[in-house]
Amino acid sequence: MFARAEPYLFLTPAFAILLIFLIFPVFWNVYISLHDVSLINIIKGWRYVAWENFIDLIEDPNFQTSLKVTLLFVAGSVALQFGAGLLISTLLNQKVRASGVLRAVFIIPWTISAVIAAFSFKFIFDSNFGILNYLFDKVGLQPVNWLSDPNMVIWSMVIANMWYGTPFTMLFLTAGIFSINPTIYEAAIIDGATKIKTFLHITLPLLKPFIVINLILITMWSVNFFDLQLVMTGGGPLFASTTASLYMYRQAFEFGLLSRGAAAGLVLVAINLVVAFIYIKLLRR
Amino acid sequence: MNAKKTITFSSIIIVVSLILSIAYGFITPISAQKKQVTLSAIVAEPKDRWDILFNSAQQKLREKHPDMDIKVDYRVLPYDATRTQILTAMAGRTPIDLVSVDQIWLGEFAQGGFLSDITDRAKTWGREKDWYQTNWDGGKYNGKLYGVWAWTDIRAMWYWKDLLNKAGINPDSLKTWDGYIAGAKQLNNALKGQGIQGMHLVGASHSPDMWYPYLWMLGGEIVKQKNSHPTKGTYWFPAYNSTAGIKALGFLKQQVGAGIRPQINHFWGQEFADKKFATMLEGSWLLGAFPHEKWSNLNQEIGMLPMFPVPSVGDKSATMIGGWILGIPETSQNKDLTWELLTTMVDPQVLTPMLQKEGYLPTQKPIGEGPYAAKLNASIPYYKEMISMIPIGHSRPNIPEYPRISDNIKQAIDEVYYGMKDPKQALDEAAAKSAKVLGW
Repeated sequence: MFARAEPYLFLTPAFAILLIFLIFPVFWNVYISLHDVSLINIIKGWRYVAWENFIDLIEDPNFQTSLKVTLLFVAGSVALQFGAGLLISTLLNQKVRASGVLRAVFIIPWTISAVIAAFSFKFIFDSNFGILNYLFDKVGLQPVNWLSDPNMVIWSMVIANMWYGTPFTMLFLTAGIFSINPTIYEAAIIDGATKIKTFLHITLPLLKPFIVINLILITMWSVNFFDLQLVMTGGGPLFASTTASLYMYRQAFEFGLLSRGAAAGLVLVAINLVVAFIYIKLLRR
Repeated sequence: MNAKKTITFSSIIIVVSLILSIAYGFITPISAQKKQVTLSAIVAEPKDRWDILFNSAQQKLREKHPDMDIKVDYRVLPYDATRTQILTAMAGRTPIDLVSVDQIWLGEFAQGGFLSDITDRAKTWGREKDWYQTNWDGGKYNGKLYGVWAWTDIRAMWYWKDLLNKAGINPDSLKTWDGYIAGAKQLNNALKGQGIQGMHLVGASHSPDMWYPYLWMLGGEIVKQKNSHPTKGTYWFPAYNSTAGIKALGFLKQQVGAGIRPQINHFWGQEFADKKFATMLEGSWLLGAFPHEKWSNLNQEIGMLPMFPVPSVGDKSATMIGGWILGIPETSQNKDLTWELLTTMVDPQVLTPMLQKEGYLPTQKPIGEGPYAAKLNASIPYYKEMISMIPIGHSRPNIPEYPRISDNIKQAIDEVYYGMKDPKQALDEAAAKSAKVLGW
């Protein structure tokens, strides 16, 4: 009897932690999203409002804008982070002098706090005091409104996020490359394969599981990430850098609309699940 | 045998400890048996001002209560985090004794039942008449007093004398809207290629704060009371899309048209002190961006016009006043003592040295006009001019919905800045959203 229950007993602490810190908050979030809870009435009664928060959310033009902004931010960030990460990890896997040192140097951005990175980029991109416009001015180019032009701002965010997130992809794919059996490359060289062919026909296919997991992770992180936007522009101008995650944060913690924030959070969870599902489907092909 | 030894040894230790602690009670002098009280507070940055105030007030409180060992444990948080931290702490029933409340948060906090009603305490205190009426009323919500406005600030026009001189501009010409626009063009031409811009225009999240003075000087309001609210009878309704509002926003549009770039990053006057702008409409805290040792001669380098530009010569200007209110949360477990702490902190004797050091403006007549005024006037540059602006100062509504209304107005201002909508359309659309926020 005890022997049968033993594995479950060992699992109990882990399951309890999961229940308290993951499952309960998710259901609590659902509960809040179906009620009218704000910081003002949080210690008073909560009114059941069914889907009202979700309807308000979908009808809010600013939320619609934030979804479009999220799409641009995530697509741009994932494409650039993945592209740059793959390129750097592949190049560092060649016979490069001091590749270990270079790897360590490339990882530095990832070790920095996102808020510090955001403040740094805020000053780099500042149209008056920023180093970028200073350099533009030195070479006779017109200054660019990196953070104050609604059409430009999201790309400034993407650049900042690429700088911040690329090291993770580089590190992750480097681990993948290291896991490939070197004899396969030796066989390819004997068969006369060029470096590009080796990369396309050996490295990429064997890296596929790593690539998919990496894409899932960086996509989810980009969907949920809002530190850069919050610090660099606060979501402006004209909501042009308000991603859905920042929208959620502002609703809940700036305006105190906890239900609306919870509803936006659940929409984000749904987006993340859809993205993960698509990537996993692709992996199984 | 070992167990026996352990039990005996433990018993001896327990008995000796008991005897010692009983003896300590008799031996220790009464002074060391003081009742320990720790008052907790959450306040907003910068920290210096609170260090001065709390240290001084704590000292006075200890002198008043020699039977108590009073400590004040205060946490200083960044501005943005303060509101959230206070709200979440109070929602979680965390016992906090004192909070600094921005004037615009008061309604939200009072409505939520987070702040104690201090109306009766204030009546017994009897110092209401010492406050400027606007400042005293700023601590009220629905007729009840929830906080005491400790100090205030005003926004005015600051300029670098040498830069205006170089561009051949008489500062007085900047007093009118037309003069301000002409001055911007003249300054930008004169300062081209030097990394200095003529005029500053706020494009950050609080840009509505710098638009309100134009709205007020034209007789407009942000919100006004209206009957027949679906649930509340008479309630607030957005009024900022009036003719006055449209004209006021038109002036911002004119500024952008004249080449003044809205600044998405705001460094609270540091950009002016760094000479990146020749002219800046900024709060009185701008002085803090200059080192204190420069204050005595600052008026030789920078000038100040105690106004926002007006449509025509002779028109009455307006400005916005802000500042911090001290309140006692409902969760406080030491309300009486906290009230004593609060009243000590706003005692002119305690408050004036802090105002003098930090350059803030008083909300009390004894400091603004009385014997303390000379002290402040002697040490704070342009103090007299700043004080002269208090009568034209307006404050923002302290209703719970204000943060969202401000966000609607910010969106309208941005739409005009970026040429997407004209002022009327932008303000009408924003007002429709604000009406919904207010429950209409």
